[in-house]
Amino acid sequence: MTDFVQLVIIGLLAGGIYAVVGVGFGLVWGVLNIVNLAHGALVIVGAYLTWQLFTSFGLDPFLTLPLDAVALFALGYLLQRSLINRIVRAPLLFTFLLTFGVNLIAVNILLLIFKSDFRSVTPSYSGQGMELGSVVIPYVPLASLGVSLLVAAALAFVLNRTRAGLAILAVAADRDAAQLVGIDLRHTYAVTFGLGAACAGVAGGLIAMIQAITPTAGEPYTLQAFVVVILGGLGRVSATVVGGLAFGLIEAFAQSIPGSGSVFANAIAFGLMVLVLVTRPQGLLGRLR
Amino acid sequence: MIGMSASRLWNRIFIGLALAVLAYAVLAPLTSLSAAQSLNVPLLTDRLWFRIATIIAMFVVMATAWNIIGGLTGYAAFGNVAFFGIGAYTTGMLIAKAKWPFLLALPLSPVAAAAFAALVGLPLLRLRGHYFAVASLGVGVAVGELVQNIDYQGQPMFGGASGLFLPIFSIGDRGLFFFYLMLGAAAISIAVTWLVLRSRFGYGLIAIRENEEAAAVIGVNTTAYKVAAYALSAALTGLAGGIFSQWNVFINQENAFPIEYNVQMILMALLGGTGTVFGPAAGAVVLQLLIQFLSGTLPVTLSLPFVPSDAMPVIAQIILGLMLVIVVIFAPRGVIDFFGGRSRLSLAYLRRSLRETSI
Repeated sequence: MTDFVQLVIIGLLAGGIYAVVGVGFGLVWGVLNIVNLAHGALVIVGAYLTWQLFTSFGLDPFLTLPLDAVALFALGYLLQRSLINRIVRAPLLFTFLLTFGVNLIAVNILLLIFKSDFRSVTPSYSGQGMELGSVVIPYVPLASLGVSLLVAAALAFVLNRTRAGLAILAVAADRDAAQLVGIDLRHTYAVTFGLGAACAGVAGGLIAMIQAITPTAGEPYTLQAFVVVILGGLGRVSATVVGGLAFGLIEAFAQSIPGSGSVFANAIAFGLMVLVLVTRPQGLLGRLR
Repeated sequence: MIGMSASRLWNRIFIGLALAVLAYAVLAPLTSLSAAQSLNVPLLTDRLWFRIATIIAMFVVMATAWNIIGGLTGYAAFGNVAFFGIGAYTTGMLIAKAKWPFLLALPLSPVAAAAFAALVGLPLLRLRGHYFAVASLGVGVAVGELVQNIDYQGQPMFGGASGLFLPIFSIGDRGLFFFYLMLGAAAISIAVTWLVLRSRFGYGLIAIRENEEAAAVIGVNTTAYKVAAYALSAALTGLAGGIFSQWNVFINQENAFPIEYNVQMILMALLGGTGTVFGPAAGAVVLQLLIQFLSGTLPVTLSLPFVPSDAMPVIAQIILGLMLVIVVIFAPRGVIDFFGGRSRLSLAYLRRSLRETSI
């Protein structure tokens, strides 16, 4: 029983990270119809930013998160405005290849600057946790889960309650009609991508506190974000959060199976995704569109 | 020549040049045979040339094979490297563990890859667009992971992380032998594409690409056609993998399932023009030469001021990424579109391509 509770906790804590990686990815996919293969690279840019601010200025890593969000929003806005807006009407293969190219450039620039050494962010309180009976809850992942839910809630608020957010939803619903009522498509697309990148940046900051990072450490997150969005269902922030938590739980339990270990993480994730796609294509909570 | 339009002239020059290069590529290696050497024929090639030419032929196979599912059928397969790896490990395991002779083991590589493609294709090819692309990418990643990590009675079943060593295939001139073998595979894949494009099967695939519902309505068995195209693509890719394993003598997860091949073969097909017979092959030659040039394996290498030579592989990747971005934005119909004489390369062409796809 203790083991079970501990696994649920591990799963939910990991799931928080997946949720925040997933909501940014899902927003870009749902609105722009672009599967952003550079999402993991944006995550790792955020992670290195937190690492740099922590190492150079001794800034508390949680305080770097808003800076990550702002910096990545700007980067994302520029990327969309200068490059990705040029191919949004191209066949999907082109959007794949373009974002893959951006990923290749970003990862290799990071390699040039930071080399491939492992880096980690270790504030004084890392590794500590509270014990409830025989169950341990580590502080940093717990706080990360809190931040993740906060980011998701903030994103949902922006989308549903602000002018910019409503413009994004309008563009997602009908691009041409949105343009007719005077919405600036290029700007709205860039804001959407910026918001997705900002979520990726925060996720990266959280990841830097939890695992050692390298320039290539972001790639698995792109694939996992895809699985998370499929699992929850495309089109709503809350559905993606549920998908992220579910994915964390499934991964935690899969890894606890003796013999399989963590080496089959991708195989399990993709097996699961294909299963969901074939049996319930709208996701666990999604609506058919 | 008078009266011939400029683009037609360029078209002829281009084809003539391509044929000359091809003839040299195919015939020059023969000068390294000992019979030719004893007749004092000048040596036109060296060992490095064999290696690069064989790699290029390998990518011709992969890009041409991808074209069958990606270009003709219109399904953006992002995980074809799984078939390359399965082909490599099929031949590799049969030779290393079961002690089969190479030429007996090799035909089973395409069979195994095609069987696997048919198996995963049945559920995967029900998916469309992004879903198929990423699901196929996932299969590519997952298969590599499984091959490295599956244990059997406590031992890694396929050589595990330390890889699989094959006994060296003993033949007089190994470099020459594997070059011609890979070249043969390339010729087979181009011939298969040519045949497919002229068959009922090929018309069915194109119908699926253009409009799948309409294809089903006019009586194309879309599921069977798609699975067959996927399996055919896999068989050819697996053949290249099988040859690679014996040629390279050592295979592991990294060289049999390299994720970057997925994108490289697509980019090659795209550069040359998807859906055509020779386009992907031309794209493969050009792009692979460029990759070799950037990574410094050609006699002519690139050196940039202020860049230390150990940073060059990373710079090469960045240049490749920039190229990818530029090609995708400016030449969405492939570079062959204007060299092949269908459109003229001009500023107006680039502007039009840009306007067509942007908002």
